[in-house]
Amino acid sequence: MSKVVFCEDDPMIRKLVQAALRATTHEVHFAENGAEGLALIEQVRPDVVFSDVLMPQMDGFAMADAVRAKPELAHIPIVFMSASVQREQIEECFRHGAAGHLAKPFTMTELRARVAQFAKS
Amino acid sequence: MRELPRSLRFYVAASTFYAALVFFAVQYIYTIQLAESGLIVARRDTGDVLASIQLVSFVVWLGISLIAAVFLHRLASALAGARSAEEQKQQELGSIFGLSAALAGPLDLEEIGRQFLAAVRNALDPSVTVVLIVYDDVIEAFRTVAAEGPEVERLRGQNYSAAGLAASIRTRVIDHRQPFLLPDTAANAGTWTKLAQEMPQIASARSFAALPLVSRDRLVGALLLISDRAGTLIADRVQMPMIMGQYVAGSIHSALSVSEAEARAEREALVNRVSQRARASLDPDEILRGTVDSLGRVLGVSRAIVASGESEDDLNVYYEWDAPGVTPVGRGARSIPVAQFAARLGRTVIVTDIREDRRFTEPAADDLRQRGVVAVAATPIRVGGQLKGALALSQIDRPREWSANDVRLIEAVAHELRVALTSAEAFEQQRRAVAELERLNRAKSDFVSIVSHEFRTPLTGIQGFSEMMTNEDLTLAEMREYAGDINKDAQRLNRMINEMLDLDKMESGRMQLHREPVDLNALASESADRVRPNAPGHPVTLRLDPVLGTIMGDRDKLTQVLANLLNNAVKYSPNGGEIIISTRVEGSAAHLVVRDHGMGIPKEALQTIFERYGRVESGATRHIQGTGLGLPIVRQIVQLHGGTVWAESTVGEGSVFHVNLPLAAHPEQLGDRGDIAPATRS
Repeated sequence: MSKVVFCEDDPMIRKLVQAALRATTHEVHFAENGAEGLALIEQVRPDVVFSDVLMPQMDGFAMADAVRAKPELAHIPIVFMSASVQREQIEECFRHGAAGHLAKPFTMTELRARVAQFAKS
Repeated sequence: MRELPRSLRFYVAASTFYAALVFFAVQYIYTIQLAESGLIVARRDTGDVLASIQLVSFVVWLGISLIAAVFLHRLASALAGARSAEEQKQQELGSIFGLSAALAGPLDLEEIGRQFLAAVRNALDPSVTVVLIVYDDVIEAFRTVAAEGPEVERLRGQNYSAAGLAASIRTRVIDHRQPFLLPDTAANAGTWTKLAQEMPQIASARSFAALPLVSRDRLVGALLLISDRAGTLIADRVQMPMIMGQYVAGSIHSALSVSEAEARAEREALVNRVSQRARASLDPDEILRGTVDSLGRVLGVSRAIVASGESEDDLNVYYEWDAPGVTPVGRGARSIPVAQFAARLGRTVIVTDIREDRRFTEPAADDLRQRGVVAVAATPIRVGGQLKGALALSQIDRPREWSANDVRLIEAVAHELRVALTSAEAFEQQRRAVAELERLNRAKSDFVSIVSHEFRTPLTGIQGFSEMMTNEDLTLAEMREYAGDINKDAQRLNRMINEMLDLDKMESGRMQLHREPVDLNALASESADRVRPNAPGHPVTLRLDPVLGTIMGDRDKLTQVLANLLNNAVKYSPNGGEIIISTRVEGSAAHLVVRDHGMGIPKEALQTIFERYGRVESGATRHIQGTGLGLPIVRQIVQLHGGTVWAESTVGEGSVFHVNLPLAAHPEQLGDRGDIAPATRS
């Protein structure tokens, strides 16, 4: 069973993701901001992290940089979810070491496929 | 005999030898003939007679020879003299013709001077220093064009204004156009002492002459001859230079006319260029670069400055041109006393030699002196009677007589710069307007991206939940719950759209207020109650003035004001912190203050945050969601109520938002609160 960490400040989206992944076998953990996310990642050592970019206290990029800075966490793939459609904003995700980008609004099929792609079955 | 030439001496010797030879031959022949003829009998007597006759004839012969020799000598010397006079004449004529031939081509003044002085020196003693000065219309003074001779170092490059020449030379040479001659300065000590005082450059001369150069009734210049040997320059000797001068004066006249015409054309071209540039460009720097530089070059000054400023003391260097090798004073420099003086007087001021000018004794002028500035001309630049700046030109290391032409040119350029500075102002306004438009445009694109971002978040929920409801087997309870979530997100979207529309309405003046008596304190408490559940980390404190009174306002809109301010206070203090809402009476207005202890607002953004899309974007606020419309809506609503809103902030400590709303004129008519007497305020 693979572990997934979701960092998202919007409660509706957290709820949506939770509902969408309930049917899968993945163990899903939620954080409301980057700082919480970072603590969670250290604690559960997930197979993949999905993170919003714009979040209070610590944004997704800062969190990703902090994860990359820790050798024991650096290998964990991070997929950014953002509402940006502008190329340069998406490129910035990859500059921060993103393994992928999920544009909001995303479909549930898309979400599950992305989780499956990175999660160990 | 010693003075006789060698050929003549030889001639005399030869003729004497010949006479002696003939004498002895004749005597011998006579003696033989007489002996053969038998007359030898009386040989002794006749021999003596013959001898005496022969002696006499020998002496006579010798005498005749000598007379012939002397005569021949005289003749030869006369011939030789005649030939040398002819040769000298020829030579002089030749040098004059040579000079006039040399000057026939289109020569510049310096070349003419060089040729002329070479010819003059040729005709004079080598101790004589010759100086050609010509009257220069541009500087209205005699300018040294060329100088040759032992004293050349002291005399080269000198300019003599009419006042700079000695009075005696002035009267005789300039006024009467007659040569001025002092063959022995010691012999005319009275005249010379005075002259030498006035022209110290020539004080050491022992013999002096000044010859006018006149062409077609115009005095084009003068030739100064200076020698350290008394008696060198007498009337006869200066005859040649005088004649040469007549030839040269014409050429100098032509050369001067050409250079004057050129200077005039250059001046006119410059003024044209200035005005063209002033009209063609709105960029003040570009206008100044072309015109002030040219002005400096045309006038041959060391530095040209355009100062800007609205008052005499405000004047500072805005633009400067410096001749090669001249150290710049630097933009913003304020030690420009002559320009300030010109600004004070409102007219052009010229200074020939600041070291001797009593008008400039203040310390600022010392700065000029230290910079080596000697002569200055400055004129104010005024637009519609208002001082805008000044144009100043300075000459370093030497005095300068500013001519009327210089002044005319400087004033003409200053006049054109007036146009330039006016358009520069317009340019600046336009530039600001463009910058403002660009800022708005950027804000608008930022807004589009923010809005699209903000809209996508609720859309994700709506899309996701509806997708699950469509595709998955859900319980009825789940169905209901998801439908409720969809509804919440749809409402959120709707709120955002309404905010935008509201703002549009208010900004275009289409918003109607439903005015009624409103108790601001009650409104503040309600809003605090509403925000508390969403802000557990932000204790909300109320400090309300119980006698605040009533305002006539739109309850819903004012609620929106409070909600927006409180939401911002929560949003922009992500680490929590107390939020204080206070009210108090201030004159005839109710004053509402919302204070937070959040991240604060940079000073430069305190104005723009109330503008549409004026949200502060930084690393710290990037994660904070918002359409950037909250504060613009607050401002619109407050303004519709006839009130004002402003913010104070210290970055890192928090922000304070002030709202001033006019109190109802007759509170006692509006309800039961009106008759409460003022009490303590908290």
